[in-house]
Amino acid sequence: MLLACLIAAAPADAADPVTYRLKWLCNSSTVGDLYADVHGFFAAAGLAVEVRAGGPERDAIKELELGQAQFGVASADQVIRAAAKGSPVVVIAQIFQVNPLQWIYRASRPPIDDLADLEGLTIGVTYGGNDETIMRTLLAKAGLDDRDVTLMSVRYDFTPFYRGRADLWPIYRNSQGIVIADRMTRAGEPVRFFNPADFGVRYVANSVVTHQRLLETRPDLVRRFRQALLQGWQAALDERNEAQALETIARFDPDTPPDLLARQLRVTRELVRPTAGFAIGRIDVKAWRQSEAIMRGQGLIPEPVDVLARLHGPEEP
Amino acid sequence: MLARRTYQFLIVYAAGLALLLGLKYLAGLSDYVIPGPLLVWQTFRDVYGRYAADTLNTLSVAVLGQIVSICLATAIGILGRQTTWFGNFVKVAAYNVQAYPIVALAPIIFILLGDGFITRLVIAAMICYFPLLLVVLGVMSEPVVEIEHFYRITGRMRWQLEVKIRAFENLHKLTTVVAGSATLAMAGTIVAEFIAANAGIGYSIRIALYQSDLGKILVALFHIGISLSVYQALLEWAGARVQRRWEAAGGDVAS
Amino acid sequence: MQISCDDIALSLAGAERPVFTALSFTLKGPGFHALFGPSGVGKTTLARLLIGHVRPDAGRVSIDDGCLRRLYAYNLERLPGWSSVGRHLEKITPAQHRARCAELAAEFGIEPVLGQRFARLSLGQKNRVNLIRYLVQDFDLLIMDESLANVDERTREQIIVKIKALFPDRFFLYISHNVIEVARFCRQVLVLRGAHRRPQAVTVPGLDGRGGATVSPEMEKAMLAIMNAV
Repeated sequence: MLLACLIAAAPADAADPVTYRLKWLCNSSTVGDLYADVHGFFAAAGLAVEVRAGGPERDAIKELELGQAQFGVASADQVIRAAAKGSPVVVIAQIFQVNPLQWIYRASRPPIDDLADLEGLTIGVTYGGNDETIMRTLLAKAGLDDRDVTLMSVRYDFTPFYRGRADLWPIYRNSQGIVIADRMTRAGEPVRFFNPADFGVRYVANSVVTHQRLLETRPDLVRRFRQALLQGWQAALDERNEAQALETIARFDPDTPPDLLARQLRVTRELVRPTAGFAIGRIDVKAWRQSEAIMRGQGLIPEPVDVLARLHGPEEP
Repeated sequence: MLARRTYQFLIVYAAGLALLLGLKYLAGLSDYVIPGPLLVWQTFRDVYGRYAADTLNTLSVAVLGQIVSICLATAIGILGRQTTWFGNFVKVAAYNVQAYPIVALAPIIFILLGDGFITRLVIAAMICYFPLLLVVLGVMSEPVVEIEHFYRITGRMRWQLEVKIRAFENLHKLTTVVAGSATLAMAGTIVAEFIAANAGIGYSIRIALYQSDLGKILVALFHIGISLSVYQALLEWAGARVQRRWEAAGGDVAS
Repeated sequence: MQISCDDIALSLAGAERPVFTALSFTLKGPGFHALFGPSGVGKTTLARLLIGHVRPDAGRVSIDDGCLRRLYAYNLERLPGWSSVGRHLEKITPAQHRARCAELAAEFGIEPVLGQRFARLSLGQKNRVNLIRYLVQDFDLLIMDESLANVDERTREQIIVKIKALFPDRFFLYISHNVIEVARFCRQVLVLRGAHRRPQAVTVPGLDGRGGATVSPEMEKAMLAIMNAV
C-alpha cells in the first residue's frame, strides 16, 4: 500500500514545472494545447505545465528571454524579427501548416482565380500586421502596387466589409471566418475565402518556440514537452475524440456556441492536419524560407537571419 | 518654464532609458526584448522625421480635444453648479458617462464616426474632460459668499456674474488644471489613435507594437514627452499671463 | 416703521444648544438703533432672521410695510478683484444716487483710494467702501454688522453722524461691541442675552447723539443700563 502510494506520488513530485505562453486567447486554434494539458499528456511526460492564454500585449519570445515562460507560441514573423535582433529563440514545432489568416469576400462578385483579379479592389489590411506583409507579397507577385488597389486600414470591427466599402477583408479562417460567413449567409450574401497559399504564398503562422539555452541544457525536457504537446494535438484533432475536444475548448471558451465550436474545430483540423495521416507539428522548411525571403524583400528585417538554423523540430521529409 | 520642463523631461527619459539598458545588460537580453543604444540611435535616425510629424498631428488633435473638453466641462460645470434637480441630474449624468472605460466606448464611437479625425477628437476630449469637469464643478458650486452677498441681497445677481466671480476667485486653480489636463488630452488622443484611427503617433506605436519594435516606441515616447513639455509650458505661460491681465486690466461683465 | 419678534425659537443645524428660545422684542423706527451683546450670543443670526435668510423654528418675525426693502451689510465682505473700487461703485450705484455716492466717498475718506483694487485697501478702508455701496442703494432697513470695524474712532463717529444726518427717515440696526458708541449715537439699544436668560432681549434707550463729545452723567447712566442688561 505504502509502495503503491509512493509510486503514484513519484511522477507528481518529479514533474518539471514549465510555463507555456499561448499567442492568443483560448479558442479552437489552441485546442491541442488545452487538450494536452486537460487530458494529462503533459503530466504523463513528467511535466507540470501551466498553460497561459495570450493576448495582443503578450509576446512569448520576450517572456522566454525574461525567464517568465519556458515554451510559447509565436508567429513566424515574430520569430524572424527576434532572430534578426539576436534573440536566442528556436522553433521546436510548427502547429499550423496552412496560415489561417485569409481574406473573405462576397460570392456575388467574380471569384479571385488569379492574382491579377485583385486589381482595382478595395482590400482591408492591418497596417504593420502580418496580413499587410502577405497582401503586399501577393500584389508584388501579381505585378501590382498600392496604386492598383485601394488598401483600407483594418480595425477590430467588420463594418466596412458589411457595408460593402471593402471587397476583401482579412479574417482568421477557423474562428471569425466561420462566424462572419454564417452571418453573411443568413443575410442572403454567401461568401468565399481567398487563401494566399493557393497562390503560392505560404507565410508561416503559429509555431512552438523555446529558448536556445533550454534546448541545449535540457534537450530531454524539450523533447518530452514537444512530444506531449503534439500527442495532445494529434488526439484533439482525431475525429474519434471530437466530443472530448469540444468539451475541452468549451471549458475555456464558454461564450462560443457548441455548434460553432464544432465547425471551428473542423476547419482548424484542415489547417493543422491537412491530410489524415499527417504528422502534426512538422516544420515546413520551404515555407519558413519563403517567410524570411518575404520579410527581407519588404525591408522588415535589415539582413538575412538564416532562419533555418533556428528550426529544431520535426521537418518535412 | 519651458527650459525647466524640457530638461526635467530629459532627465526622466534618460533615467528610464538607463534603467532599461541596465536591465538588458544585467539579464543578457537580446535587442528584440530591449534594443541596445546603437539600435535605438539607428531607429531614432530612421523614424525621427516621420514620428515628429505624427506627434505634431497628435498634438494638434489633443489641443483641439482639450479646447472641446474645456468648453464641455465649463458648460456642464455651469449647468451642474445649481442645487436644483436639473443641476444634480447634469452632475450625475456627467459622472456616469465617465464611469464607462473608454476602451468599451471606443468601438461604438468608431462604428458611429469611423476611424478619422472626429473619433480621435471625441475620445481625446472624453478622457481629458473629467478632471476639468471635477474642478469646474467644484469651483462653480462653491459660492464666494463674501463677494456674492451684496449682489444677492440687492437683487443684482445674474448667472453670468456668479460664474465670473467664482472663476475669477479660482483663476489659479482653473489655469493649473487646464495646464495639467494637457497631458490627459495627449494621452487620450494617443489612446484613440491606438484603438481607432489611422494617423498620429498612437497609430505608429500600434504598428511598432505589431512589429515588437521597442526602439520605435522609445523614439515615440521621446517625441511625445518633448512636445508635451513644450505644450504644457506654453499653457502655464498663457495661464499666468491671463491671470495677470485679468487682475490688472479687469473685465466689465455685469458688475 | 416697526420690526418685532414674538416668542422666537431657533436652533442652527449642527449646534448643540439653541440660539434663541423665547426671543421677543419690538423696535420702532426710523432712526439709528443698535444691536448689542457678547460674542456668540446670536447677533448675526438675528440679523439673518430679520432679512429672511433663516426661518425661526417657532414664533413670528413681523416687519411692517415701512421696512420692506431690507439690506444686510457685514464687515467681511469683499468686492470683486477685477476692477477698481471707484469703477465698482460707479457700476452698482443707481443713477439717482450718484451724487450721494461721491459725497459719501469724500466724507468717509476713501476718495484717494478709488482708483485702487479692493484687495490693496486697509481693513478700515474696505469696510467703509463696503458700507458706501449699501448706503447708495434704495433701502428702508439697513443692518450694519460691525460695518465700521477697524475704522479709527474719530472717523467712525463722523460716519455715524453723517449717516444719521443724511438718512433720518431710514431704519438702521448697528451691530457693534463698542458700548460707548452705541450708548451715545443710538436711539434704542437692543441688548441680546444668552438663550438661557429671561427675557432674552432687553431694549435700553440710548442718547441718539444728544450727549456731546464728553461723557456726561446721562451717558454714564445709559452705558450702565446697557451693561446691566447684558
